[in-house]
Amino acid sequence: MTDLFRISGQHKLRNPSLVVTWRADAGKLGARVTDYLNKKLGGQYFGEIEPADFSPLGGVTIEDDLVQFPESKFYSCPKNDLVIFKGDPPSHEWFKYLSLILDVAGHYGQVRELYTVGGMVSLGAHTAPRELIAAFNSPELKQALSQYNLARDLDYQTPPGHRPTLNSFLSWIARQRNIPGASLWVPVPFYLVAVEDPNAQKKVLEFLDQRFGLQIDFQDIDEEIRKQNEKIARLRTLSQEVDEYISKLEGNLGLSEEENEKLVKQIEEFLRSKEPGL
Amino acid sequence: MGIKLYQEPKLKQPDLVVGWPGIGNIGLVAVDTLRGQIRAEEFGEIEAYDFFYPRRVVIKSDLLVNLEFPSSKFYYQRLENKDLIIFIGEEQPTDGEGMYAQGRKAYQMANLVLDVAEKFECQRVYTSGAAVSLVHHTLKPRVWVAPNRQELIDEIRKYENTILMSELEGRGGQGSITGLNGLLLGVAKKRGFKGFCLMGEIPDYLSGAPFPYPRASKSVLEVMSSMLGVEIDLASLDVMDARVEELIESIYQQFPAEIRERLEQRKLVAQAQPGAITEEDQKWIKEHIDEFFKKGSAGDDRPL
Repeated sequence: MTDLFRISGQHKLRNPSLVVTWRADAGKLGARVTDYLNKKLGGQYFGEIEPADFSPLGGVTIEDDLVQFPESKFYSCPKNDLVIFKGDPPSHEWFKYLSLILDVAGHYGQVRELYTVGGMVSLGAHTAPRELIAAFNSPELKQALSQYNLARDLDYQTPPGHRPTLNSFLSWIARQRNIPGASLWVPVPFYLVAVEDPNAQKKVLEFLDQRFGLQIDFQDIDEEIRKQNEKIARLRTLSQEVDEYISKLEGNLGLSEEENEKLVKQIEEFLRSKEPGL
Repeated sequence: MGIKLYQEPKLKQPDLVVGWPGIGNIGLVAVDTLRGQIRAEEFGEIEAYDFFYPRRVVIKSDLLVNLEFPSSKFYYQRLENKDLIIFIGEEQPTDGEGMYAQGRKAYQMANLVLDVAEKFECQRVYTSGAAVSLVHHTLKPRVWVAPNRQELIDEIRKYENTILMSELEGRGGQGSITGLNGLLLGVAKKRGFKGFCLMGEIPDYLSGAPFPYPRASKSVLEVMSSMLGVEIDLASLDVMDARVEELIESIYQQFPAEIRERLEQRKLVAQAQPGAITEEDQKWIKEHIDEFFKKGSAGDDRPL
C-alpha cells in the first residue's frame, strides 16, 4: 500500500478494458451500472484510491439516514478482462486523481480501452427511448464502434460559466497515454434524476454487453423497467396534474419552472413510497 | 509518531466510544462523564507533537522543563455486560484555524484511533456531537442518530428520545457531521466497523455559546447507556445543567421582547419550522449573543 492507493490480491488481467462510473450521477446511473456488472460478472474488489489527498475530509455527509464516506474502488472481472471503477468525484487534485485511476487499473496490464459512463439531465419524458451518446478520444475507436447504435455527429462546447466533466478530463488524459476511450452519455429525464432510471442503465449495459461479449441476461432489469413504468402510469391515473405534465413533455412541449418542480416532487415521492401491489 | 500503549488489557469484544470537542462540547462532556462514571483506566495515547501545536511551556530556572500538548488518550473498563474502550481527544487537529479537523491530519488521526479499535477487536464505534436545531432551551433535547450501515437503522428506532434524519421534517434524510466526530464514522465504515453518531439537540441561538450544554450531553448519554447496556449515574450532569440553565436564562432575559416572544413559540412544538424566527432575529442574536455571554459570565468562575 502507498499513501495514495492500495491494491490487494492477485488478479489475472491481461490488457483490461476499463469502465469508469461515478456514485453521484443522474438517476444513480454510474453506481447501478457498476453494481449490476459486478453482480452479473462476479466482479471482485482489488484496490482503491485513498481519499486523504482528494477530499476535504472535514466531516461526513448523511444521505438516506446513513453516514457516507468517499469511495474510489476498483473491481476486476478476469474472465472478461475488465476493470470497473466506481468513485466519488474528488474535490481537488483532479489530474492526479484521474491519472491514478489509469495507473491502478493498469496495475496488472496496460489498459486497452477506456469507457466512462455518465447520465445527463434531459427535459424529455421517460416514455421516450433512451439514446446512447458517445464522445471519442481517438478516430480509430470512433471508426471501430461505427456499427454500434450510438448517436452520431456530436458537436459540443462547454458553455460559458461551466467546466468540462471529469469524464472528458479522464478521456483527455487517456489520450496522452495512447489509451483509446469513449465517454458514454445517456439522457435521464429530469424527474428521475434523484431516483433511478433503469432504462438508462440498460442502455449503457447493452452497449457494454455487446462490446465485450458479456452475454448478460437482462430479464431482471427489464422487470425493473416494467415496474417503474407501471408505477408512473399509476400515478398518472391518480394525479391529473402529473398526467398533464408528462403528456406535455411527450408532445415536446416545455414545462414552466413551477410545473417542473411539482412533477419532480410528486414523482420522487411516489416512486419512493411503498405502494402495495407494485 | 503514532500510538503509545502503556499496557495491553485483555478485553472481550469491546465497543469503542469516542469524544472530541465540538459545539457545546455535547459529545465530549457525555463521553468524559461516562469515563468518570465507569472509572475507566488510562492505557494509551496518540502521540501529540505531530498533530498539535503545544499549549503550554514550563520553564524553571531558565530551563525548559516541559512542553504540554493537547492530549488524545485511550481508557478501558471491563463492565458486566460490555467491555469498553474510551478515547478522548482534548482538541481536534486543525491547521490552526477553527475547531474542526480536516484533510490528511484528520484522516490520519481517525485511522490511528481505529487501529486501536482493530487491535482490540472492537465491535462498534460510537461518536457524539451536537445537532443545531430550531428548539427551545427549556425542552428536553432529542438525540439525532446517524448510523454508518443500513442494518442498524431498525435498531435505532427501539431507543427512546432518538430520531433519524428522515424523521425530521424537510430534511429528506440528509445532513452532515462536521469534524472528527463525523469523519471517524466514515472511516469506520470504510474499514468495516459498525458505528453510530449520537447528536444532542442544541438551540441555534446557543450554538455559538462559549460554554457547554450539559442538557444535551445528558440526552446523549441516556441513549448511549441504553445502547451499551450500561447503567450510568447522571447526577453530575444535572448539577452542571442547573448552573448552565441559570446562565442561559439570565442571557435569554436580555433578548428583545419580540425575539423572545417568537422563541417562546418553540416550546409548543418539538421542532420549529424555519422562519419561526425571522432572518433579522437570527442576525440580531448572532451579533449580540457573544457580548451577552461575556457579560453573563464576567466574574463567574464556577467550573462549568
